[in-house]
Amino acid sequence: MLSNVKSIALNGLEGILIEVQTDIGTGLPGFEIVGLPDTSVKEAKERVKLAIKNSGKEFPSKKIVINLAPADTRKEGTYYDLPIAIGLLLAQGIIRKNDLCNTAFVGELSLDGKVNSINGVLPICIEAINLGIKKIILPKANVMEASVVKNLEIVGVKNLKETIEYINGEKYIENTNIDINKLFNKQTKYNIDFSEVKGQENVKRALEIAAAGGHNCILIGSPRFAERL
Amino acid sequence: MMAKRLATILPDVTFEEALEITKIHSIAGKLKANRGLITTRPFRNPHHTATINSIIGGGRTPKPGEISLAHYGILFLDELLEFNKSTLEILRGPLEDREITISRINSTITYPCNFMLVASMNPCPCGYYGDLEKQCICTPYNIQRYLNKISGPLLDRIDIQIEVKPVKYEKLEKVNKVETSEEIRKRVNQARNIQKNRYSEENILSNSELTPKLIEKYCELKEESKNMLEVAFKKLGLSVRAYTRILKVARTIADLECTKDIEVKHIAEAIGYRSLDKKYINREDINEQNINK
Repeated sequence: MLSNVKSIALNGLEGILIEVQTDIGTGLPGFEIVGLPDTSVKEAKERVKLAIKNSGKEFPSKKIVINLAPADTRKEGTYYDLPIAIGLLLAQGIIRKNDLCNTAFVGELSLDGKVNSINGVLPICIEAINLGIKKIILPKANVMEASVVKNLEIVGVKNLKETIEYINGEKYIENTNIDINKLFNKQTKYNIDFSEVKGQENVKRALEIAAAGGHNCILIGSPRFAERL
Repeated sequence: MMAKRLATILPDVTFEEALEITKIHSIAGKLKANRGLITTRPFRNPHHTATINSIIGGGRTPKPGEISLAHYGILFLDELLEFNKSTLEILRGPLEDREITISRINSTITYPCNFMLVASMNPCPCGYYGDLEKQCICTPYNIQRYLNKISGPLLDRIDIQIEVKPVKYEKLEKVNKVETSEEIRKRVNQARNIQKNRYSEENILSNSELTPKLIEKYCELKEESKNMLEVAFKKLGLSVRAYTRILKVARTIADLECTKDIEVKHIAEAIGYRSLDKKYINREDINEQNINK
């Protein structure tokens, strides 16, 4: 009862492919995560356990070992909650074997099985393509951010139950299609404007030059005009 | 807040720039929910109590700091001289390299930080040095000590120095039409496009990134302009570092007017943006005052 699920870790802006290997075997019941996890990853144990229970699935009372490979890279953050849960369900056979070798999972679980948003989704998705991933399953709240990336199938999930149903083919989740151009051209309106500043033409001119050439600049003035800087 | 309004006239972001900005904000966890792409240039203004780690980035697994969050945007340091000297000096490298490598026990991470530094400061501790209406009460020694907080190498990296003078009451009363940010931004965009096309083979984006070698190539001066610069150089006692700054800024002024060559008037205006050099740092006048006292 061994399973293998993929996930992605970030080292700065660089992505690393992480394999979440799960084994459920005989022995004294226990739950162990190895592969240099830090505290937030170790705590995933409790979140995953309760998320699975509260999603109406059984948490096996057996010896469970989870390895996050490569085992010499330090793992940090809550990205691995979802892949660990999926790996466990896969090893139990609750998720029927499916072709998941090109699919990566990231997401944080809450105790009721909800998939919470995580940081760094955009760099993760960009790096996923470089790592040969075709499909990524991530928190629904992060879909907008991820959808900027082309050539990657992005599936946003709300909770663990929905994820299980989706992988088993019992539920269809529509791919979010976002018009990148529309998103990009959405002009942000500023509520401040240069026309509100009266006088100070020389300063305005200097700032215009600074903006045009990307020059660093320094404004020197006495406190009487400080509020105008 | 004039510096804050500077963000409204910055050139439009390209798609690649927007992607980079969003990436860094995403890692730092600063992306608002359901916000796809950040399409405006960031404006960061950390308080002067900011620590070195918060400025350059840090943590056990390094997270981006203020300089990286200001990538392709503005890092505004209000009351520059109130910052820790070490905090300011740390900006030297990033301003030059436009990226920062942070080494910690778990990992060594490089984040980009191509930002525009905008700072504001008082000319002296009491704030009135150079004011025409109010007397400055600082001793020359105090002024010098105050200004010594910014080091030469840091000042070296600041191209434009502007003195903000008081507005006359009559000007406040006048209701003549003032330019909006949008009108100014149009000109800025135009100037940036000229630069982008010119430097398409040089791997830089704007005049501020010109290296000495590239300055020689792209900021060629005519005889007349050369003479003008020479006179100014001698008369105003400008430093060598001021020389390249003046050329870069003059190049931008010429680009704003869409002229190919740098003309005398462009040089003249650029010289005007070295007030800190003339008035405060080459402090002969203060020393003279000191002797007279």
